[in-house]
Amino acid sequence: MRRPYLFATVASLALTALPFAAHAQFAPAGAGGPPSASIPGAGKADEPARDAPPDPSYFAGPSAYAPQAPGVNAANLPDMDSIDASALPAMVPQQSASPAREDWATYGHDDNQTRYSPLDQITPENVSQLEVAFTYHTGSYPRPGQANKWAAETTPIKVGDGLYMCSAQNDIIKLDPTTGKQIWRRDLNVKYESIPYTAACKGVTYFTSSQVPEGEPCHNRIIEGTLDMRLVEVDAATGEFCPTFGHGGQVNLMQGLGESVPGFVAMTVPPMVVNGVVVVNHEVLDGQRRWAPSGVVRGYDVESGKFVWAWDVKRPDDHSQPTGNNHYSRGTPNSWAALTGDNALGLVYVPTGNSAGDYFSGYRSPEENAVSTSIVALDVKTGSPRWVYQTTRKDVWDYDMGSQVTMMDMPTPDGQTVPAIIVPTKRGQTFVLDRRTGKSILPVEERPAPAGNVPGDTRAPTQPWSVGMPALRMPELQEKDMWGMSPLDQLYCRIKFRSAHYVGEFTPPSLDKPWIMYPGNNGGSDWGSMAYDPETGILIANWNASPMYAQLITRRKADSLKLMPIDAVHYKPGAGASAEGNGPMEGTPYAITIAPFWDPFTRMLCHKPPYGMITAIDMKHGQKVLWQHPLGTARANGPWGLPTGLPWEIGTPNNGGAVITKGGLVFIGAATDNLIRAIDERTGKVLWSHVLPGGGQANPMTYEANGRQYVAIMAGGHHFMMTPISDQMVVFALPKGTN
Amino acid sequence: MVNSSWNVMFRHFHNATFVEWLVLLLGLVITLVGVAFVIGGVDLAMLGGSFYYALCGLLLAAGGILMILGRTMGAFLYLGALAYTWVWSLWEVGFSPIDLLPRAFGPTLLGVLVALSIPVLRRQEVRFSSKGAV
Repeated sequence: MRRPYLFATVASLALTALPFAAHAQFAPAGAGGPPSASIPGAGKADEPARDAPPDPSYFAGPSAYAPQAPGVNAANLPDMDSIDASALPAMVPQQSASPAREDWATYGHDDNQTRYSPLDQITPENVSQLEVAFTYHTGSYPRPGQANKWAAETTPIKVGDGLYMCSAQNDIIKLDPTTGKQIWRRDLNVKYESIPYTAACKGVTYFTSSQVPEGEPCHNRIIEGTLDMRLVEVDAATGEFCPTFGHGGQVNLMQGLGESVPGFVAMTVPPMVVNGVVVVNHEVLDGQRRWAPSGVVRGYDVESGKFVWAWDVKRPDDHSQPTGNNHYSRGTPNSWAALTGDNALGLVYVPTGNSAGDYFSGYRSPEENAVSTSIVALDVKTGSPRWVYQTTRKDVWDYDMGSQVTMMDMPTPDGQTVPAIIVPTKRGQTFVLDRRTGKSILPVEERPAPAGNVPGDTRAPTQPWSVGMPALRMPELQEKDMWGMSPLDQLYCRIKFRSAHYVGEFTPPSLDKPWIMYPGNNGGSDWGSMAYDPETGILIANWNASPMYAQLITRRKADSLKLMPIDAVHYKPGAGASAEGNGPMEGTPYAITIAPFWDPFTRMLCHKPPYGMITAIDMKHGQKVLWQHPLGTARANGPWGLPTGLPWEIGTPNNGGAVITKGGLVFIGAATDNLIRAIDERTGKVLWSHVLPGGGQANPMTYEANGRQYVAIMAGGHHFMMTPISDQMVVFALPKGTN
Repeated sequence: MVNSSWNVMFRHFHNATFVEWLVLLLGLVITLVGVAFVIGGVDLAMLGGSFYYALCGLLLAAGGILMILGRTMGAFLYLGALAYTWVWSLWEVGFSPIDLLPRAFGPTLLGVLVALSIPVLRRQEVRFSSKGAV
């Protein structure tokens, strides 16, 4: 009889201790002493000069002028020369301008990035017969001894006789679209060390040259940006490097970025070609330091790889490459989302994030504050912004723009249409802008926002709310929204909720106690973007409601937690800092501790589901919600990460967007239940689902070959979402002979 | 007889049946949950949150201790706490199953066990009150 007693006692004592743990996870008020004497203020918005004394801290990063570490220029490529935009040859019309009916010609299907396909072989009536046509293994997944940083997020493209895709580590692959047989594979040897937050390759770009005649190698090319910052062009027919592009088919994108280490900056989105200029943007690892490498956006000659322009936020009038040891302005807002090109207006729409040192804005310059967390329309010949639309002012919530914008013709009350873009945000506020002017077509209200909690770091007095579109968000949190398996974990979460600052969406960062960010940096719309059916006018958006729990901590406390930037001399992988986790924010007075607002014991989010939703909006008739329901079942989710096997659509966190087909179907994976499903576009009813070999955190696509319609999804999984990692792309079709 | 009152209090431990040990264990669990409720609930109330946990915790702790002592009253106190839990839950979130799950599901399961323990506790009380009268 003694053993059950012992067990019960230990278990009960552990439960008793839970409420205390709610406080212990984050620093108690005043931990680490009072805020340091260096109160932030004016004069700190510029990076340290070349001759500034080095930071003596053990935890600091090196000077921005320090030489680049070995491996940063991954292929040891020589520098590229510049070319004047006026010397660029005219671009021939691309496949993506008007894709063949059976193709998926670019990341978002077509130049408008609609994620809509005119294929209609698969219909609500026959979708239940879908079966696996073939699978393809990319070979990229964590090997023994490697931390799981994988989330392939790949969407193949299909042009003519090829299905083109990339592995999570950037190998470029051409498959036979009917059998999945590999036609060629270009290994790029991207090293594990070059993986930033995530090993992702969202896709590749198909380009037809005006300079190389048809029938010769590299007339049609596949373009890719890599995790280790190379811009690569290969021949679409053979996979051989294009010799006339860059140096043997490659351009070093680290040129001009100054000091860095592998894994600090990376390209994960397909490059965007607009009017003969290939535009590249890159992610910069969050939370490392104020003077992280630049978020510069650059344009290159898509034919030769020569440099055309740079958009360096703090050098608005200088679009040239830095010379010598100089570098693009450090710490500027970076852009990691897929770009959208507008050949007619000569613009590229750049979704931006916030400046480095994400959760402290005291050291940002006015130039940065003007363009962060915005859509910036860059003139693709000059690199100058033609207009800027800001969705969050002076962002300290990491509401960086993750979605690719979608171009569409917005109907007006007088029966005309306006060339527009749909701008999803992590806030769940969706803006619809006139893409000629950047002015909102629908009403937007400036609403007052709370003042700041941190000395010297003031908050914007108002924030924009797109009241003309349905908000993709939940009501603000209340104590009674706390959830759990039992009253004990609910009590724990109630204490955690009441222990934090929370006054709604724009609750400012705080030092004295944690604050809740909701929707937070995993909320609203993310890189999956939206799908728009231009025929029916139906917009499909999947979105998240998953708050974050964060606290600013003093430098002393950060040092005691051993938080140091990835490029610090003493940095060791896996110690202290991680992107989307605790970050040193070196060069600012404070560091950040941040985690999902969850019960770390059961690993369940603290608030009640749904955590993920899918919404259909009728854009042609007053932006009304046609249907909306939770996305994702409980089958693979539960406490301690255990699968419950329950089929209920509770609504799970989701990443990866939707596809709409003319057949009247919406295909989407995204949720953490590892299912791909087909949903009736008109009613929202789930008509079919299939269990994938890994998490379906990628945008699916559809194409036709030999008269048969296929639906493809990369079941790569996602490390942060804790779904199973796999290297398999799964392709579905109706059984042969059905049609 | 210095220890006589102590002996009287725990005399039901002697020659206890298996089922009686289980009831004892149930009482212990309820006591510890009650203590957790009181500690966390006071914390929550001081932070401006709900008073339910602190109040319910007192009922649970008292009920659990009485069950350990072999008193039927302990079981009834638990059932009282359960009734309070249901009333409070319905007041806070209404008839929403997903909201009632964390609040009432576990306590109701425990409540079934507590209800089953009432005859056991009764038997114990009768046995020892008759012995005590000797």
